[in-house]
Amino acid sequence: MDFTKRFWCGSLRPEDAGREVLLAGWVDALRDHGEVLFAHLRDRSGIVQIVFSPERSSADLCRAAELLRSEYCLVVRGRVEKRRAGTENANLETGAVEVFAAVMEILNASDTLPFTVSEKAMAAGERESEAVAEELRLKHRYLDLRRPSMQDNLIKRHRIFKCVRDYLDEKGFIEVETPTLTKSTPEGARDYLVPSRIHQGHFYALPQSPQLFKQLLMVSGFERYFQMARCFRDEDLRPNRQPEFTQLDLEASFIDEEFIYGLVEELTVRMFAVGGIDLTRPFPRMTHQEAMETMGSDRPDTRFGLRFIEATDLFRDTRYGIFRQILDRGGRIKGINIKGHSESLSKNVLQNEYAKEIVPAMGAKGMTWMRVVDGKLESNIVQFFSREEQAAILERFAAGNGDVLIMIADASPDLVHSVLGQLRLHLAERLEMIPPGIFAPLWVTDFPLFEATEEGVTSSHHPFTSPHRADFDPENREELLGLKSRAYDLVVNGEELGGGSIRIHDRNLQSRIFRSLGLSNEAVEEKFGFFLRALDFGTPPHGGLALGMDRVVSMVLGVSSIREVIAFPKNRSAQCPLTQAPSDVSREQLGELGLLDLGGDKALPGTVKKEDLLEYLSWVSRIGVNETERPALEKALAEASLLAAAIDKMETDAEPVFSVAPVKGRIRAGGEPVVSPYSESRALFANAPAMKGRYFKVAGILE
Amino acid sequence: MSGIFAYRDGGSVVSGEGLLKGSSISVQANMSVAGWPTEAGSLALKGFKAIEDATVVKSLRDQGASIVGSTRMSELGLGLCGDEAARAVAEGFSAIALVTEHLGEARLSAAKAGLIGYKPSYGLVSRHGLLGLIPSMETIGILARSAADIATVMAAASGRDERDFSMPVEEVPDFLNGSGQPGIRTLGWIRESAACLETDDRKAFQRCLEGFAKAGLTPVEKSMKEFDLFRTVHQIIGSVEASSSAGKYDGVRFGYRTPSAKNWNEMYLKTRGEIFGPVIKPFLFQGAYYQFMEYDVFEKACRLRSHLMREVQRLLGEVDALVMPAVRRGFDPFEAASVPALYDAFLFTLPANLTGLPAVCFPFDDGGQARCPGVQIIGSRLSDAGLLALAGERMQTTTKES
Repeated sequence: MDFTKRFWCGSLRPEDAGREVLLAGWVDALRDHGEVLFAHLRDRSGIVQIVFSPERSSADLCRAAELLRSEYCLVVRGRVEKRRAGTENANLETGAVEVFAAVMEILNASDTLPFTVSEKAMAAGERESEAVAEELRLKHRYLDLRRPSMQDNLIKRHRIFKCVRDYLDEKGFIEVETPTLTKSTPEGARDYLVPSRIHQGHFYALPQSPQLFKQLLMVSGFERYFQMARCFRDEDLRPNRQPEFTQLDLEASFIDEEFIYGLVEELTVRMFAVGGIDLTRPFPRMTHQEAMETMGSDRPDTRFGLRFIEATDLFRDTRYGIFRQILDRGGRIKGINIKGHSESLSKNVLQNEYAKEIVPAMGAKGMTWMRVVDGKLESNIVQFFSREEQAAILERFAAGNGDVLIMIADASPDLVHSVLGQLRLHLAERLEMIPPGIFAPLWVTDFPLFEATEEGVTSSHHPFTSPHRADFDPENREELLGLKSRAYDLVVNGEELGGGSIRIHDRNLQSRIFRSLGLSNEAVEEKFGFFLRALDFGTPPHGGLALGMDRVVSMVLGVSSIREVIAFPKNRSAQCPLTQAPSDVSREQLGELGLLDLGGDKALPGTVKKEDLLEYLSWVSRIGVNETERPALEKALAEASLLAAAIDKMETDAEPVFSVAPVKGRIRAGGEPVVSPYSESRALFANAPAMKGRYFKVAGILE
Repeated sequence: MSGIFAYRDGGSVVSGEGLLKGSSISVQANMSVAGWPTEAGSLALKGFKAIEDATVVKSLRDQGASIVGSTRMSELGLGLCGDEAARAVAEGFSAIALVTEHLGEARLSAAKAGLIGYKPSYGLVSRHGLLGLIPSMETIGILARSAADIATVMAAASGRDERDFSMPVEEVPDFLNGSGQPGIRTLGWIRESAACLETDDRKAFQRCLEGFAKAGLTPVEKSMKEFDLFRTVHQIIGSVEASSSAGKYDGVRFGYRTPSAKNWNEMYLKTRGEIFGPVIKPFLFQGAYYQFMEYDVFEKACRLRSHLMREVQRLLGEVDALVMPAVRRGFDPFEAASVPALYDAFLFTLPANLTGLPAVCFPFDDGGQARCPGVQIIGSRLSDAGLLALAGERMQTTTKES
């Protein structure tokens, strides 16, 4: 068969009736009507129905068609005909036609499938597709990717990438590739390392971002650079993160923030348009401080209100003891007005759920709530407030009947913001205040340049970010903490899609930043020597930004996980179920790379010898051991090993038993799954040492 | 008194109608009673309050019993260090006490206090709501002054529970109509077990055998050369199961959590490092050793367990029941504070746990020469009612003659 004459399955329409066509693809689904057999044939373009009937096809062909099974690969020649009225399939774009097979050849059979690939029902009322466990999908990703929805995701991803490249090309940007084998930087604690066989005991690192290289390209005078860069980060597990991810990295010279905003806004509008989403320009902007003060987040979700209202001054002379004490310690009181929700937020919900459980789990010591009924405040503590205070609250919060006011008071303003920020999201979700189908982009600007550490300060972004002003004293911690940076983040619907900054191009300023960070000249030389040297050769002013493309694509396509827009992703445990990466390697391989006894002379903190049996067992069974317990435990292990030796010699032909009274085929009466009533109530949480909202709280995976 | 109970019920001492009307029963602090602190003697369950009643508690209450409190216990119920259940009965706070049996805890605490201690056939009493440690061996044991009381408790508590998936489907012994008719004529005693006794103890055991003979039973000497294996196999399997089932104690959903963990792994390491005490911790490490380093040894132990069960079954085909010493001078189970000390102290009781057979231990004193603080009768699976009847008969004789 001559495949060049092939038609796309998905392209056939009633106008094609009467044509002889050659089709190739996979059997999506089959339906046997006795003598007549219907098959859905699927290729990348779509699905069309093939008919094998004794009236129109030879007896041999009908017999051959009986052998067909799902996902067989076929080529078919046949005649397109309009379906009889009433037999059209509205689920298919080709649903008004069918192809009567004249010739068919099975190009390849398929094994029994681990899950159904088909997503399109052959008749109305049938199940369209089934939910399959993600681990199984990833293990057979090549089959999962046969599904039209997954193909559509990757095709749209391609469209978005192409639109980025076209647009940036239009704007004079050059795509340049930077190396994947680079140098590990001392602070790059999450680097993936690649051993060098030639230089044994030395390692390359995979880039977490091409930051330094792209700045070097600006030094080289490319002026406008971009790259669809693959970046790597060996982070602890978090949902919706991948060890490798794709980032649009761009940098330009002789520009300022306005250039970046204009460029990236237009780019974002075009990318979202691929998914049929209209974004309006210009994107609103908000300083970091305003975002924190009004929404308690540096990536606020602006699709709904619930902005914070300042109330500290209303209680300057209050007699309410709790507020009094907080204000005496210089604290803050802020609140939100949940308009018209007093029905859904009953006294019981506010007091027993929010004040007692949810808000303490968010980190606050307490919460004050009031409901507005008949123009008056109603609450368990309202009697502590004077008439003037009550009137001032109503006025400040613009409160009317049916409103619910929630206030958080604490000595630490940061805590007030953080808790109200979490509460804002919690309430919006619970009360369904987020309008569906809305996209709210936002620039967050003017980030603090430094964050406080125990000893001094550290960069909030990275040490190459330009400060707003250069006339600061590197020794003055208070002044440093007040500095703002020329960094910006692009946030959509409360998710950070990317960020960047205008960089430092002046060697002297860069040195003073390093001094502020408390880095010695030697440390700076070791970490960034090559880069600082480059700044000495006429570096132009420059800046740029990086966008997380996996995240952008998943948001444009409206899928819940970035794994849905990556062809071969790792699972939630950073493993690839398909290839089983990461895998063990042979001793020979390690030997050739000089890795057999590496690090012997470098006693790194935290990398305790795992060959110690007690340490090993302590680790695998997650039971810590202190020095005083060690002797007793060593003795216990010696005893265990003696017992093992004692029975090792014994001979027996008996089958192992794991129970003295084995139970077979035990099924719960009725066979119905039973949900414990306690899983619905909050009783299971009553014993938990720490909670957050409706979850058990544990220590962070990252330090 | 405060030393006896971990929690004492203030309110509900009223009892209802039923087989156990008017009976006061204490449970151990690892048996769930809704709303009661249920800490199982362990930091791992610090502050834990049971959400619902254990099935056994519900069954007893349904038959009119009043559950008076939960007695203090050893850490997670392994051994008897700090266990106060026997004192609750001996000092009259409850007529009956429930004690978790891993190694023979119910029988040996009874022996110490002059009571009857009983371990049922494995799978006869629901363990739903029991915070256990060694799932393939543990049962709920019972202490009381009279065998009839124990039989009544068993009549109420035994039988299939939909919520305990380890219970096989089988006929439950009739505990109410077996009294007085033990049906036991021949008692086998294992030479190798008696050989573990010092001279004085051995003589006392021999006199007990003579006492049984005087009462019309026939002691028969038997040999089981693998007797030493019971403790080794119990320790290997028991430690592995404990290591596995203690995995749930992580300080996330309940119990104590270390205040100073920087991250997730450290939270588990430190929390679990701090919650396990000096007896349990080495036991868990031994289990981890077999699990992670020598899994074949664990499997071998399971084969030997099967072999031992077959051997005991063979003996029980030749005699009606086995008689075994329970206590040894110089090995006080209440003082056993290390793993080897535990296995020394429970040497004679643990075979019943390993094989899942019923056993009853009672003081032997026929008013004459035969006197022993605790002698054990072990029977075939589900011969529980007969064992209790025999114990009852012996105790009655004792009371009559003393």
